[in-house]
Amino acid sequence: MIILSLNNLTKSFGGLVAVAGVSFDVERRDVIGLIGPNGAGKTTVFNLITGAIRPDDGHIFFNGHSLERLKPHRIVFLGLARTFQTIRLFPKLSVLENVLSGSHCRMKSPFISSLLRLPAQRREEKAAIVEAMKELDFVGLADHWNHEAGSLSYGDQRRLEIARALATEPKLIVLDEPAGGMNDQETFELRGLIARIKARDITIILIEHDMGFVMKVCNKIAVMENGALIARGKPEEIQKNPKVIEAYLGVDD
Amino acid sequence: MTGTRRDIWRDISLAAQVLLAVVFFCAPWFGIGAYWLGVLNQVGLYALLALSLNIILGHAGMFHMGHAAFFAVGAYTTAILNTIYGWSILATLPVAGLAAGFFALLVAAPIIHLRGDYLLMVTIGIVEIVRIALVNDIFGLTGGANGIVGISRPVIFGLRVTKPWQFFYLIWGFIAVTALLFHWLENSRFGRALNFIREDSAAAEGVGVNTTRYKLMAFVIGAVWAGFVGTLYASQMRTVSPDSFNFWESVVMFMIVILGGSGNQKGVIVGAFLVVGLPELFRGFQDSRLLFFGAALVLMMIFRPQGLLPPKGRTYKLPPEACPASLGRARAQDPETV
Repeated sequence: MIILSLNNLTKSFGGLVAVAGVSFDVERRDVIGLIGPNGAGKTTVFNLITGAIRPDDGHIFFNGHSLERLKPHRIVFLGLARTFQTIRLFPKLSVLENVLSGSHCRMKSPFISSLLRLPAQRREEKAAIVEAMKELDFVGLADHWNHEAGSLSYGDQRRLEIARALATEPKLIVLDEPAGGMNDQETFELRGLIARIKARDITIILIEHDMGFVMKVCNKIAVMENGALIARGKPEEIQKNPKVIEAYLGVDD
Repeated sequence: MTGTRRDIWRDISLAAQVLLAVVFFCAPWFGIGAYWLGVLNQVGLYALLALSLNIILGHAGMFHMGHAAFFAVGAYTTAILNTIYGWSILATLPVAGLAAGFFALLVAAPIIHLRGDYLLMVTIGIVEIVRIALVNDIFGLTGGANGIVGISRPVIFGLRVTKPWQFFYLIWGFIAVTALLFHWLENSRFGRALNFIREDSAAAEGVGVNTTRYKLMAFVIGAVWAGFVGTLYASQMRTVSPDSFNFWESVVMFMIVILGGSGNQKGVIVGAFLVVGLPELFRGFQDSRLLFFGAALVLMMIFRPQGLLPPKGRTYKLPPEACPASLGRARAQDPETV
């Protein structure tokens, strides 16, 4: 079953065509790696999918919804969560509160029941804390629940972003360089985390520069260069694809 | 060990605060005189205005310097309904709040996406527009530059509030209720959402917070409360005029929140004493009192830019079922075994 479908997606910034007619489908429970040299347009594709920027042309269909005109918070509500390439936590707030920011869109208490602290609001708040702690436990950060998010190590901050995204109860999660800045041990643990996210029936798309990591974690790989998709396939196919080798290594004249 | 010691200090601090509040609420019985009660009432009105601005400026981090406009809408709503249509003051209170809130919704909707300094400039514009509209006797209801006189006193449970000590209890009682409601609000998903927006608006939107809606709601709730304060003010002064709602009033409210500690209600109340009460203490210095005051502000901004009492952050108590088995245990995950 196709959960996400990009159709001729195009975006330019000024004269620069960042994404040029990219089309591809993502099947449920896929773990897709989006790779390519710097400036290939990978993060722009993510920003288009998550609604941070709007496409000039093309369509995005997610689980039966058309996304290209929706605001980011609506897209999150439909079940598409993200993490950021440059970590964007709320550094001065606690680790738990950062996860609760993801729970926000699944909570229903209206303004008035917050102002008057009605029993339903208190019950919901308690349930949200329980769920948030489960997500923290899931990524291995439960011990740090009461710390300031900004005080965590780089790798832990990346995992907190994942916990925050999971708290939105996504069907699909897009991870922008999840292993960026992680050491070998942390990268190793991240592989386990991604496998466990997949086991929760959540589809994953990730951008990553660590090829060893991508080849081990992903079941499909899409390669971008200069805003266009140049190759798609299984990891072993991609490794042999001459276009990909050329894009990464260049060719002798 | 350190935990219990911290608990003891917290208890002592809490007891001291309760004692201070009790002593403060007995102030009218100490024979401090009508003048100083008047000062405390004025501090109280500003504290209320600053508490309502704190939602917008302190929690949502929006640089709003036009809060006097919403205060004016509330005060004039009460003045008009009372003097022209003969409504009782208490009956005008909800209408004044709603009128201010509705006005905020109208003016804030088109500017809500503006950030920082741009928002600041536009909100200064709003307060000037309101003042000039009042001076020009808009709708023929506001009485022009002279304003409206002859507003009634509030009657609460058959008791007519006229004396300073009666207003003291009315105003500071209102503060107590406001602080409690806003405390609950701060500690809900609503309050958190505003903080997410203040910390990183784009990230908040990206994790599912409807940032536009929450920014607007912050404006409206702040304005509704400023409208309520307008009712209190109008019935206390018995007269309203455009001069009372100029740009400087907005600056004073802004200063109270920033100096006291944006996002901390206790800080905001302390800030109101500092900014409105302190200059009164230096009355003896005549005109140079504002010089001292200005110097104190400058020193404050240099040595304590985060405000007198910066917010401490929410405390959460984990319910027992929220404590995962792994809590306190080191993590070890092997990707090959999953």
